[in-house]
Amino acid sequence: MRPTLRSRFLIGCLVLGLAAALVPAADAQKRGGTLTIVRPTDPVSLDPNLETTAPGAWVYFNMLEGLLTLDEKMQVKPALATAYEVMSPTKVRFKLRPGVKFHDGTPFNAAAVKFTFDRALRGTPPARWASLAGSLDGAEVVDDLTVDVVTKEPYGPILRTLAMYCMGMVSPTAVQKMGSDFSRAPVGTGPFKFVEWKTNTHVIIERNPDYWGDKALVDRVVFKVVPEEGARMIALQTGDADMVLFPSPAQLPALRKDSKFTVHETTGIRVVFAGFHAGLPPLDDVRVRQALLHAVDRKAILDNIMEGSAGPALGVLAPGVFGFKDMQLDRLYPFDRAKAKALLTQAGWAPGPDGIMVKGGQRLSLSWLAARGRYPKDGEITEAIQAMFKDVGVEAKVQVLEWAAVFQQVRGNPLNHHMFTLGWVTSNADADYSLYALFHSKQVPPAGWNTSRYANARVDTLVEQARRSLNQTEREKLYGEVQDIVGKEMVWIPVYTTKEIIASRASVKGFHIHPVEYNLTLSKTWIDK
Amino acid sequence: MLTFIVRRLLLAVPVLLGVVFVVMLTVDLLPGDAVTLMLGEHATKDAVAKLRDHLGLDKPFLVRYLEYVGRVVRGDLGRSIQQNRPVAAELADAWPATLQLTVAALVLAAVAGIVAGVASAVWPNSLFDALARLGSLFGLSMPIFWTGLVLIVVFSLWLNWLPVGGAGSLTHLILPSVTLALPSVAMIARMTRAAVLEVLREDYVRTARAKGVAEFGVLARHALRNAFIPILTLLGLQSGQLMGGAVLTETVFAWPGLGRLMVKAIFARDYILLQGAVLVFALVFVVINLLVDLSYGLLDPRIGRQG
Repeated sequence: MRPTLRSRFLIGCLVLGLAAALVPAADAQKRGGTLTIVRPTDPVSLDPNLETTAPGAWVYFNMLEGLLTLDEKMQVKPALATAYEVMSPTKVRFKLRPGVKFHDGTPFNAAAVKFTFDRALRGTPPARWASLAGSLDGAEVVDDLTVDVVTKEPYGPILRTLAMYCMGMVSPTAVQKMGSDFSRAPVGTGPFKFVEWKTNTHVIIERNPDYWGDKALVDRVVFKVVPEEGARMIALQTGDADMVLFPSPAQLPALRKDSKFTVHETTGIRVVFAGFHAGLPPLDDVRVRQALLHAVDRKAILDNIMEGSAGPALGVLAPGVFGFKDMQLDRLYPFDRAKAKALLTQAGWAPGPDGIMVKGGQRLSLSWLAARGRYPKDGEITEAIQAMFKDVGVEAKVQVLEWAAVFQQVRGNPLNHHMFTLGWVTSNADADYSLYALFHSKQVPPAGWNTSRYANARVDTLVEQARRSLNQTEREKLYGEVQDIVGKEMVWIPVYTTKEIIASRASVKGFHIHPVEYNLTLSKTWIDK
Repeated sequence: MLTFIVRRLLLAVPVLLGVVFVVMLTVDLLPGDAVTLMLGEHATKDAVAKLRDHLGLDKPFLVRYLEYVGRVVRGDLGRSIQQNRPVAAELADAWPATLQLTVAALVLAAVAGIVAGVASAVWPNSLFDALARLGSLFGLSMPIFWTGLVLIVVFSLWLNWLPVGGAGSLTHLILPSVTLALPSVAMIARMTRAAVLEVLREDYVRTARAKGVAEFGVLARHALRNAFIPILTLLGLQSGQLMGGAVLTETVFAWPGLGRLMVKAIFARDYILLQGAVLVFALVFVVINLLVDLSYGLLDPRIGRQG
């Protein structure tokens, strides 16, 4: 099917920035002061071309803005673009916000958009975020304030891709003048501008008094590096820090009760799961996989291991992702050992002398690859599931390795393990990003991330169709169908959806935590001192 | 003397070459790869290949080793894989902080250790001696990250006298340097005690006392000067220890030094940056050893004549 959306105006979908200015102040906001934030690591770089991980993104997200942005409700909102129009399946036209200037005084215009994309996509090597941007190919200048964003092929997720945290526009004059120094002192259009970066000590940004929208409330933000978790929490207690990113989970219950602190939390967009290699017997038998899902008490894991620091997994996607559909896992695969054993019996397995199931002289023994510490409690949940498997007569041999080593193996082909503990974040918040890379039969590593070797021709057709469509309603329906099919043939045990958690002193007001960890918006935050 | 120094410096060359070889080989043997770690879970095969090629990571190990050595000889330490920034600039940023921390800790350790050790030797088996020996046992046994956290809790959280971490003023230096110095204080105190006790039993000390030299003079001119050779050797070794300990201390106290830089480089498999940092550590170690050897001659003229 071909999108027939030529020249269809979708401006209405985008609420103009005006609305934001009309919202009345909730309680008397105070201006000024310094917000001190502690976090575990220094940025790799402050240039999205070189850094797509959180330590850098937290900082540059406040200085560099993209054409679009995602609000806390995961809706696409205008940023430097005010409206868009789909011109053809591979071309979307954007109207740019007039009168915007970069921090160095350079006017923001269509040429700057083209420059930013050319620099990222045609540079050697290409930007780190190029891999996240699908078939984005670049931009063409139409006039000073109109730009066409072009993709190599019809690309449905284009809007959410452009709204990603790392798609910030950079000042062409600053890049040309500063060369490689730009990555340590970026120049954008955002509500904050760069002041200073002392490696492994702090990064300081300050309020941009000429910002086009609502100006920031605090004068300065200092991002300090405190690698030791205990020391970070002490800094919050002594008041050396106003806000802690990655607070210690063990201390959260105490902080929640203490009126001196606020714990900000929301459901994140990463799903942590125990994956099956569906191409490797005995897991090629769907009944065995279903039995294993029934064998796991997911609620017990959430209550006893995650202790409130994660939410239930509702499927292979997190709820904030466009295209998400609740897979009804509790209805499809309730925790039921009898059901699990019955399914295994149906598949021809019978209890052996040591209680482990056997079939044709083969024991039901699975080799399992896991890291410890890559995702919250990944090692612990792996061990818990291992024990639950044993209760239904399935043996799991877990091999715990350092993350870099696990990564190399799961990204390789062939994969010689039955199971793997992984987490998957839908970086652009569009189902395409996950359902295509994880479940399309052509996406087996090293091409993509179909580590499960899942293959279903109908799913292939649906995810391809959804990728090529620019009709978002249609796409949502297609993804719903994909999740219905995958749900029946499960190749994962989804364990939990991450929660984004930030702790601050109670004097920090107006801060809204975002489901996407990288989107740390500080312009509305103020300090009540 | 000059030939001695030149010879020792020339001997340092194979040492440094060996250090670089071992570090590069270790990183090469480690599972995990800088590029895939850098580009993350979602990198396309194409992007990985392009970046690997750009960084020259596909060349055989020996070629990379020789290229690296060739560049270092010309004074170029390369660019950090992760940050795309000259390694020399990264090291220059981090080095002063580590130097400050280790020198402060070394001075603290030397002063406190020698004073405690001498006092223990002069009044052996006294209450002070017993306390000092118990204290050194404690100092030696406690891991740095634990002592560090305890000091933070006491002096920052409870008393609110000193900052939790970070660098900047002299008050920032107190907790990390004390933490780092503690195990060395203990070591130096024990060594000093043993060395001074031994010298005090020597004939020339008895002679000095017999000809009426005051007890302080005996200690300072005769005993300590001779006991100083093993102490100095230990100080040299300890300065290396301190640099190693700085890795932990820097992490606990958010001290922006070389140790932290190295840890970051290891996890990112940024071998260019790692090699640069290790080279600096190795070089400092070689120089300190040389200085210690030279100072033997100053303390004991006999050694100089033989050398």
